[in-house]
Amino acid sequence: MNYKPPVTHVLPLTTIHREWVLPTPGTIIVRVNEQVYPHDIVAEAERPVRHVILDVARALNVPADLVSRHLLCEVGDRLTAGDRIAMGKGWLKRTVRAPDNGRVVAISEGRVLFEVLGKPYELQAHFPCTVVDTDGVQKVTVETTGSLIQGVWGNGKRDFGVLKMVAGGAGGLMTPDVLDIDLRGCVLVAGSCNQAAPLHQATELNVRGLILGGLSAGLISVARRLDYPLLVLEGFGEFAINQAAYELLKSNEGKEASLDGTPPQSYGYQRPEIIIPISSTRFQDIPEEVVPLSPGVRVRVVRQPHMGDVGVVRELLTRAVSYPNGNIARSARLDLEGAGSVSVPLANIEVIQ
Amino acid sequence: MSIESETDTLLTVDVGSVNTRACLFDVVEGGYRLVAVGRAPSTVGPPLFDAREGVGMAVGQLQLITGRMLIDETNTLIKPIRLDGSGVDAFAVSTSAGPSLRTVLVGLMPGVSLDSARRLAASSYMKVVVEVSLLDRRREEERIDAILDSNPHLILIIGGTDGGANASVLRLVETVRLALGMMPEDRLPHIVYAGNQQLLSSVSEILHGFPSVSLMPNLRPTLEHEDLAPTRMRLAEVISDLRSQHVVGYEALKEWSEGSLMLSSDALSRVVSYLCEVHAHDKGVLGVDLGASHTTIAAALGGQTHLTVCNDLGLGVSLPGLLKHRSISDITRWLPFELPESVVMDYIFSKALHPRTIPTQLDELYIEFALARELVSTALSEARLTWPSTTSRGDTLMPPMEPIVAGGSVLSRAPSLGHAALTLLDAVQPVGVSKLVLDPSNLASALGVSASLIPMVTVQVLGSGSFINLGTVITPIGSGRSGRPMLRYILEREQKGVVLDGEIKWGQLAILPLNQSEVGRLTIRPSRGVDIGFGILGKGGRLRVVGGAVGLIIDGRGRPLRLPSDPVQRTEQIQGWLWNIGVRD
Repeated sequence: MNYKPPVTHVLPLTTIHREWVLPTPGTIIVRVNEQVYPHDIVAEAERPVRHVILDVARALNVPADLVSRHLLCEVGDRLTAGDRIAMGKGWLKRTVRAPDNGRVVAISEGRVLFEVLGKPYELQAHFPCTVVDTDGVQKVTVETTGSLIQGVWGNGKRDFGVLKMVAGGAGGLMTPDVLDIDLRGCVLVAGSCNQAAPLHQATELNVRGLILGGLSAGLISVARRLDYPLLVLEGFGEFAINQAAYELLKSNEGKEASLDGTPPQSYGYQRPEIIIPISSTRFQDIPEEVVPLSPGVRVRVVRQPHMGDVGVVRELLTRAVSYPNGNIARSARLDLEGAGSVSVPLANIEVIQ
Repeated sequence: MSIESETDTLLTVDVGSVNTRACLFDVVEGGYRLVAVGRAPSTVGPPLFDAREGVGMAVGQLQLITGRMLIDETNTLIKPIRLDGSGVDAFAVSTSAGPSLRTVLVGLMPGVSLDSARRLAASSYMKVVVEVSLLDRRREEERIDAILDSNPHLILIIGGTDGGANASVLRLVETVRLALGMMPEDRLPHIVYAGNQQLLSSVSEILHGFPSVSLMPNLRPTLEHEDLAPTRMRLAEVISDLRSQHVVGYEALKEWSEGSLMLSSDALSRVVSYLCEVHAHDKGVLGVDLGASHTTIAAALGGQTHLTVCNDLGLGVSLPGLLKHRSISDITRWLPFELPESVVMDYIFSKALHPRTIPTQLDELYIEFALARELVSTALSEARLTWPSTTSRGDTLMPPMEPIVAGGSVLSRAPSLGHAALTLLDAVQPVGVSKLVLDPSNLASALGVSASLIPMVTVQVLGSGSFINLGTVITPIGSGRSGRPMLRYILEREQKGVVLDGEIKWGQLAILPLNQSEVGRLTIRPSRGVDIGFGILGKGGRLRVVGGAVGLIIDGRGRPLRLPSDPVQRTEQIQGWLWNIGVRD
């Protein structure tokens, strides 16, 4: 049996490569081998915010095919708000001006398509790292060493701050009374959360992020509206953080961590993750993405009744196992911390590495 | 005259978003038969990101089961068959895995051409992200921004009957051109134009210079006539191209199958069409595939097959999509015990995170069956919007369908066939006389794709018992108070010579003993006001019925099925139905 389950990384020290990509080609600000810090801008690109069609023919009261005689700009020209785009002839000299800062993207049938440009799109480094590669126009690859913990869900936000354990223990419930002014600007770690009040209160404390084992699914829409990143490590419901991740987070309390709350994608590589940069003088292995299930491999269960339990594979069972609800499934015998030896369907197992 | 086929052994593979299944068909005693099925997790997503790995594992399992070499030492499919018996003569692939096509619909009138386009989009793996029409109140630049923001894979332009509107259509095409002009070259979408045919050269001129433009026959050549087929075929190719770009291994599977790669939804549609021809009765035929990412409904009605792919309804990553259509209480009402709604809500979102996981506890199993009922029933509601209106009875009841063929992991791995049968009955709510058929190995996809290579495989395997006949279902229509008599029956079991008679009351779900393939004569005498399908209310009659794995089902619960509002009564009622259909937890 050659089963390769999904892999979740919970690594104390590893080499981490991340590729940051601009949505459109732009300017790369950093050089290869340059050291950068979390809030440094590594690349930027123009960001069109809207388009405006300017009917020059109508504004100047000229036929569409004669508009070109009145134009003062060409496709690709950058203009600032108020710059002249076209001007009529005669004593009245009607003028068409740029409605905002932007550029001319098309001219057709007496009309000008104008792209209004907003604040540039800026790519930050997100954590202290070294630039190792760039294509010069759109992509920057960075490298660091440190701890890596992957989650299962995130609210799409990113930030960087000092790790602080709250709510007491891997399964501690996040309530308003665990939050105080000392946590301002920190990345908080708690077991689970089933009410909106502490999430809003954390906003007022200007926290930099929240890491949870479980979140009530009813709070997903609240979580998406938060200003700070919220990462869920186990799933939706009242789940404690798995022991491997909790111990790693606890051992790094007081250090700075980068939170990336990008939600997982069905056909993509990206997952929500926590990176805790730790300098290392020795080369650290890059995490393995494919690990065949075999005896001795460290795993986590992702389904009840052992949701979040961590252990090792004792044996891959050759015969399918029948479970209490009547389902029959190919399974493995696991030695789970705190739960002993249990059979778990292969489909309900992830490798932790 | 006999027809000899040069092809004896056929291997089919269906790549789903969660499971990959390989089916081996061979000639046994003069006819094609299913030899074995191999299953493996799909590997289109993490951690392997290569569809071939899952295919290799599923085919490897087939090798273990049959002892026959199908893949050589270089991991290549052995084709054609060798003298030592290894390999296969033909190979075909169906697939539903991969991203849905983000689609912009551009059409003239919301109620005419855009309706046709919506129906077309609903029949495949397409997700409509933006609609632009003549009656759109947004300014032209806002429409351009909407198209740009949606980052589409496909822009489908329709509108204008042949010889109809010209200027309006061309204005819309011009808007599309302006938007395309601002897209990066590597993100240019496919453009499919299927509108007024008199404008083909003008459209071609406006869109000149853009690489992927297809000019297709008009979807709506006249106001009364709709022709989706040619554009649907082109869109299947576009979806296939997109998946080749996004799913590693897809291109290789296309090559191995020498072009015999089909969308799973089209394969199901083909099997349903075939079943309709075989049965040749005045009822429809229904096919249901409840997948992890999509729920597919294929219905053959009045000589036409209607296909609906619900991209936001599935028992995996797309499960939260169900909540756009149904409330949590709609789901929990099917549970045979009380459970807080928050638990079901958490379950839905957790299952979406881990779509390949399976329940091992009883409460989770019943949550999945409850979800399956609502997913299928919602998908049917969506599908019925595209069915001819004459087929719906009183707008709420299903048109008569026989057989109803259903597949999907939640049904095929149900601990008992009673679970599967009751889930289907509650979800589909058939009327009159029907037959429930379970497709435990997702053979419908395999047979649909086989039909283009070796049609006899489809014909002979469908009749060979590889599907599980759950039983004939008789569902009288009418209204009556629970516990009052609905009908009297006499069942003569032909083979055993046994005669059973009895009474069915309103609200009762009864299973009469009639084994798989056993034939019986059923005489029904309904009470006044009850319609069995003999043409007149209260009219009885005699039916030839075939048994099934569950038995002969008489569903006296009424249509539409109404559950007690009191939670205690409701859970007792559901427990009773489970008991009646043979579930003994």
